[in-house]
Amino acid sequence: MIGGRMSNESFITLFMIGVLVVLFGVSCAIVPRFYLPQNMINLLTNNWYIIMLGIGVTFLLITGNFDMSVGGVIAMTGVLSVWFCQDATASQNALAVGLGLPYGVAIALALLCAMGIGAINAFFIARLKVPSIIITLGTMMIARGVAQIVAQGAQRNTSLPDVFGVLGGLAIPGMSVKLSVLVMAVLIVAAFVFEKKTVAGRRTYLIGANSVAARLSGVNVRRHLTSLFIISSLLAGITGILLSSEFKAGGSSRAMGYEFDALVISLLGGVSIAGGFGSVLGMFVGAVILSVVTSAATGLLLSPDWQFTLKGIVTFLAILAQRFALDKRKG
Amino acid sequence: MKIGREETLRLRNERSNTMRSNIKKFYIYVVLVLIVLVFSLVKLGQVEMFGRGHFLSPDSLINLLRAAVPILTLSGAFTLLMISGYIDLSVGSAMSLSAVVFALMILNGFPFILALPITLVLGVAFGFLNGLLVMKLRITPVIATLVTLNLFKGIALLIVPHGLSAIKGSAALPMPAWINDYARTEVVLGLPWAFFVAVLIIAVLIIIQKRTILGKYAAAIGGNRTAAELSGINAVKWVWLLYIIVGLFAACAGMARASYMSLGDPLSGDGMELDCIIAVLLGGTAFSGGEGSVAKTIIGALIIMCVTTGLMTVIPAFWQVMAKGSVLIAAVVLNHLLVREKVKA
Repeated sequence: MIGGRMSNESFITLFMIGVLVVLFGVSCAIVPRFYLPQNMINLLTNNWYIIMLGIGVTFLLITGNFDMSVGGVIAMTGVLSVWFCQDATASQNALAVGLGLPYGVAIALALLCAMGIGAINAFFIARLKVPSIIITLGTMMIARGVAQIVAQGAQRNTSLPDVFGVLGGLAIPGMSVKLSVLVMAVLIVAAFVFEKKTVAGRRTYLIGANSVAARLSGVNVRRHLTSLFIISSLLAGITGILLSSEFKAGGSSRAMGYEFDALVISLLGGVSIAGGFGSVLGMFVGAVILSVVTSAATGLLLSPDWQFTLKGIVTFLAILAQRFALDKRKG
Repeated sequence: MKIGREETLRLRNERSNTMRSNIKKFYIYVVLVLIVLVFSLVKLGQVEMFGRGHFLSPDSLINLLRAAVPILTLSGAFTLLMISGYIDLSVGSAMSLSAVVFALMILNGFPFILALPITLVLGVAFGFLNGLLVMKLRITPVIATLVTLNLFKGIALLIVPHGLSAIKGSAALPMPAWINDYARTEVVLGLPWAFFVAVLIIAVLIIIQKRTILGKYAAAIGGNRTAAELSGINAVKWVWLLYIIVGLFAACAGMARASYMSLGDPLSGDGMELDCIIAVLLGGTAFSGGEGSVAKTIIGALIIMCVTTGLMTVIPAFWQVMAKGSVLIAAVVLNHLLVREKVKA
């Protein structure tokens, strides 16, 4: 059987691609105008921000850790990047006065703050061995708290330099594909290469499967986890910068619940919290499944209030179906 | 000579150990007193001690205790679950959903005697579902309850009619005034029924933890599940029961919240899971389970309520999230310093 049998990860990814194809077929059959090419492009690209978060969250899940702080980090970097480059000249409105830094510096500083949140996560989780769910829920509140304090519970969107809206507004001429989507695509490819072809990528799996064994065989588990947490926060920071640029505003309530969506697409893609199992490609498939399901539901005129319930049911079905498929395969 | 030195070392070690265990035993009371002290001194220039507007004025204390009813109702059971090494992140949403359903029933003319058991049965169903997913289908507790968090929240949002933010009375269909009777109307000492129910629940849970088999089994399962199962404890059954108890009290807390606000808000329980976690950690329950105390969690819950109510008088509302996040991190650090060290020694 050497070489002939594919890994369980590829099996689950293929399985979920099959599910995706079936779901897509059903949606095309029952939802009007679902098969149009523009809709397909939308399905692939609409969720770019969740997919960017999903990359970091997937790798952390593979090591057996959660990162619930990503949504808060998006809000924080968005608000901070606005605040840093708003005009420093005095104005009546406190929300219109910023630090007046050049845009480049503002972005760099905001990303540094995002990485700071990642570093706090890493310190508590990798060094003090605090469960990741508790500490990242705490840093979620801290990051969103910073956003709320700086934006005074509202949003900052005035006296911005013209350059602020460029990044989020750029698009490939003639197509509706935005720069942000390109960034997402590049990052997905990079993450895929990292996962399959680099030593560090394979070590991630080892840590997830058995972190004691990983440490004993010479992997610096602490440093590895630290970099993963910082990368996850950095990705969230980049997402926050792009989103705030797209909306030309930094809102303190932006990205509520995104951490859950990122977790859901990873789970749909077959990542297991038991550790050492999952793939970025699977996560991407999971993201498309989620957008097929939600947009089919919207197409069937279900109210948007259905989305929470729908996401919950789909996730449970996916987890159980994947386990069932894996059990069948073993038996 | 050498033995003497070892003897002194041992004595010194012992002394520092007893000191540490004393700190561990009593620090939470000191923290509570300190926080109350800070908030009672902070505006002393403007209002006199125990006067109107002071943190320790009777009105303010009654308000604080009334607002604390949901967390007091819930956090005791939450502690037992965390002692057994499991977690339920869906408590906040379970609370919101019960509040919405309870308010909907009252609005449509159900008598209290009918609405109460239905809400409680609903809570049991929430707990049963969580237990089923975690214990029977063996989905990781955090993931399973995160998903049910969104599921319950989604259902609560679906129940509320489109265009409204909550289940509330209107001109055509007013909310009966007696909805306040449970958690707002004064009974004794200015406090409502719900507060005394919460106290009763706490007392029962403390007895359960100290005197019954459920408390001992929870600690045994949290300490080492495999060992507990090998010695004949049916972990699936007992933890499932704990999930059901948590669900039941979440519904109870939701009912109190709905009665207090006289409406069913589908987001009213948001963040309750974090408040419970903070209370439990402040109370010195170990992250990994195995040890902890319901009574101390209650003190932790009072600390959170003091901090949130006290801060509201001092800083603008948009600092609240930051404050709560910092309290959570501080609780983690305190817990780490006091619980972890002892395990190592």
